[in-house]
Amino acid sequence: MKKMYIAAAVAASAALVLSGCSTGDAASGGSDTIVVDMWAGSEDDTAALEAQVAIAQEQNPDLKIELRTAPWGDFFTKLTTNMASGNMACVTGMNSGMLSSYTAGFAQLTEADLKTAGIVADEFAPGAFDILSNKGDLYGVPFDMATMLTYYNADMLAETGAPVPAVGWDFDDFEATAKAATTPEHAGFGIGMGGFQWQALPIAKAGVQPVKQDGTLDLTNPAFVDAATWYGELVTEQNVALPVASASDTGWGENQYSSGMAAMAVDGTWNAVGYLDNDPGFEAGMAPLPAGPEGSLGLILGSGFGIAQDCENKEGALKVLGSLLSVDSQDYIASSGRSYPARLSSQPLYFESLAPEYREQVEEAFTAAFSNVQGQYVSDNWSKVDTFVQPQLVSVYNGQESMANVLETAQSQFGK
Amino acid sequence: MSIGTRTPRRGALARSESRQALGFVSPALAGLALFTIVPVVLSIVMGFFNWPTFGEKTFVGFDNYIKLFTDSPDFWPALRNTFVFAILYVPISVALSFLLALSLHSRIRGRGALRVLFFIPVVTPMVANVLVWKMMLQPQGLINGISQSWFGIELPNFLADPQWAMIMVVLMSVWAGLGYNMLIFSAALEQLPESTVEAARIDGAQGLRMIWSITVPLVSPSIFFASVMTMITSMQVFAQPQLLTGGGPGNSTQPIVQFIYNQGFKFQELGLAAAAAWILFAVIIAITAAQFSVQKKWVHYEH
Repeated sequence: MKKMYIAAAVAASAALVLSGCSTGDAASGGSDTIVVDMWAGSEDDTAALEAQVAIAQEQNPDLKIELRTAPWGDFFTKLTTNMASGNMACVTGMNSGMLSSYTAGFAQLTEADLKTAGIVADEFAPGAFDILSNKGDLYGVPFDMATMLTYYNADMLAETGAPVPAVGWDFDDFEATAKAATTPEHAGFGIGMGGFQWQALPIAKAGVQPVKQDGTLDLTNPAFVDAATWYGELVTEQNVALPVASASDTGWGENQYSSGMAAMAVDGTWNAVGYLDNDPGFEAGMAPLPAGPEGSLGLILGSGFGIAQDCENKEGALKVLGSLLSVDSQDYIASSGRSYPARLSSQPLYFESLAPEYREQVEEAFTAAFSNVQGQYVSDNWSKVDTFVQPQLVSVYNGQESMANVLETAQSQFGK
Repeated sequence: MSIGTRTPRRGALARSESRQALGFVSPALAGLALFTIVPVVLSIVMGFFNWPTFGEKTFVGFDNYIKLFTDSPDFWPALRNTFVFAILYVPISVALSFLLALSLHSRIRGRGALRVLFFIPVVTPMVANVLVWKMMLQPQGLINGISQSWFGIELPNFLADPQWAMIMVVLMSVWAGLGYNMLIFSAALEQLPESTVEAARIDGAQGLRMIWSITVPLVSPSIFFASVMTMITSMQVFAQPQLLTGGGPGNSTQPIVQFIYNQGFKFQELGLAAAAAWILFAVIIAITAAQFSVQKKWVHYEH
């Protein structure tokens, strides 16, 4: 009997080893294999990444580059697991909004690293290196950059005779448009619920971020509290936006806008092409965020690639990273209209890829929006702050809670 | 002959069969170990550590448990929400599904089809159920639309009001889970002993008296089973509040499982999440034990 138990235990252990531990050191590959891990939500996304990897492969014939992808929603779960198990890909994709939770896995990039990668900072747009920086340390180089814009439904504004948003407009203009476009059938503005979406206008109006540059939470900054209160009152006092139906409606304002229920919404430049080709078929337009007394402060956002801290072949990885951000690669993503590249020389190609009727307007809005941007400051516990504030916003928009109170509670809870 | 005093040896065939059986069962054992025993043991260990997803893990003893009870602003509300949900959901769900099973027990036409219809929400993915309910409940939705156009009354923003949101989560969950208990009760009602029922009828029992004094005691084991299972699932509620209300407004509908999910997957504090999970486990065990201890008073196993 004893022998049988041993046999069973051996069999169970063998199965365990075969099923659980077979991934081993696969992600880091051999020393001449560099794994690139990036999110891709569709076949088009994957094809675009494969094209960039092909460019990198051509530039680095002595290395073998392997691409791995996962949809956006799964990418960060997978990354968390890979980091926890020391299995992170040498070249890993990262987004500005997510970086603060993952800095532990990425190597800080030095001047020497950038030189190895063949990256010259001056060739990138001003502020681009803030995208994947945290508290002054650089963790990656961006391939695209984004900021927030005001999108509008031109048909709805024409129908109501509301003034059309334009470069150089201010918050009085914004209120005038929102009021004029509000009718019993549709709202003038789609109120934001997502972190970037709801904070963009308060930051633009106040001219300050709710976090200081050193990562200290500053939610109770009076200028920000006033601006955020004004934002909530667009629903409760000015009645130009509909209250949110549920805290689970994270994309409330943008969905209201894209479904033709609201005349304006604030969203990122990454959705510009999507909104221009919207399903309901309305004519969409875009303008930078309105300006407050201190100008119109916008946040620079975006995605890029970093190097895993435990990468065995850091030099090879840096070369691949350099190639993925090379002129050829950046020209490719720009000319395919996929995203607005971080490399200055490639940026005009993005506008050239757009349909001629949109081109001028998009270029004007983008140029103005990117002219006054700042990297996003986040605290170490930013994901907790975001998770706390979002469901509270529902109560604010429904008039059951004051914005000042929510911000104060968040500050006292997470600002320790 | 001395054979009688010796233990008979097992045959070669029996030994070979045993080995084969163990061989066949070993993949299942490996699965059990990998996906059940290891995670359970690991989660007990995790509860005593400050265990970030990556980075250094440090032993903190009972600190996670103390932190949850004294310093976590969302833990007590999450526990309270879970109890509120269970207290509302379990009796309503069990009572309604019993009434439904009773109604469908009568020899009415198309009762098979009706049972299937009531069971459909159970097998429909929760995401689809929630989408339909959200469309009905939002201010521009079906219910408020009908109320305004027919009666001129504007209803509250159900999912954004702290009081209404929980009621709607319960209502939606009751609707979605009704068919499961109904099927259990229907099966029990089909098995009612004819002789007992007939004897009761001869004695003049009918209507409510028949249900209360004969039917309910006869199906009490099924009611007990449904109550225990429904209580356990209600303490583990997650998908309905997560998808319908996002745990909000504020944290007014956030159940304990959503709290655990947030701690583990959003904030990457696995130690705290594991400790909260074991508290939930202890609560469920305590409630289930209490249910078992009082069953003697009302559950009748002999027909």
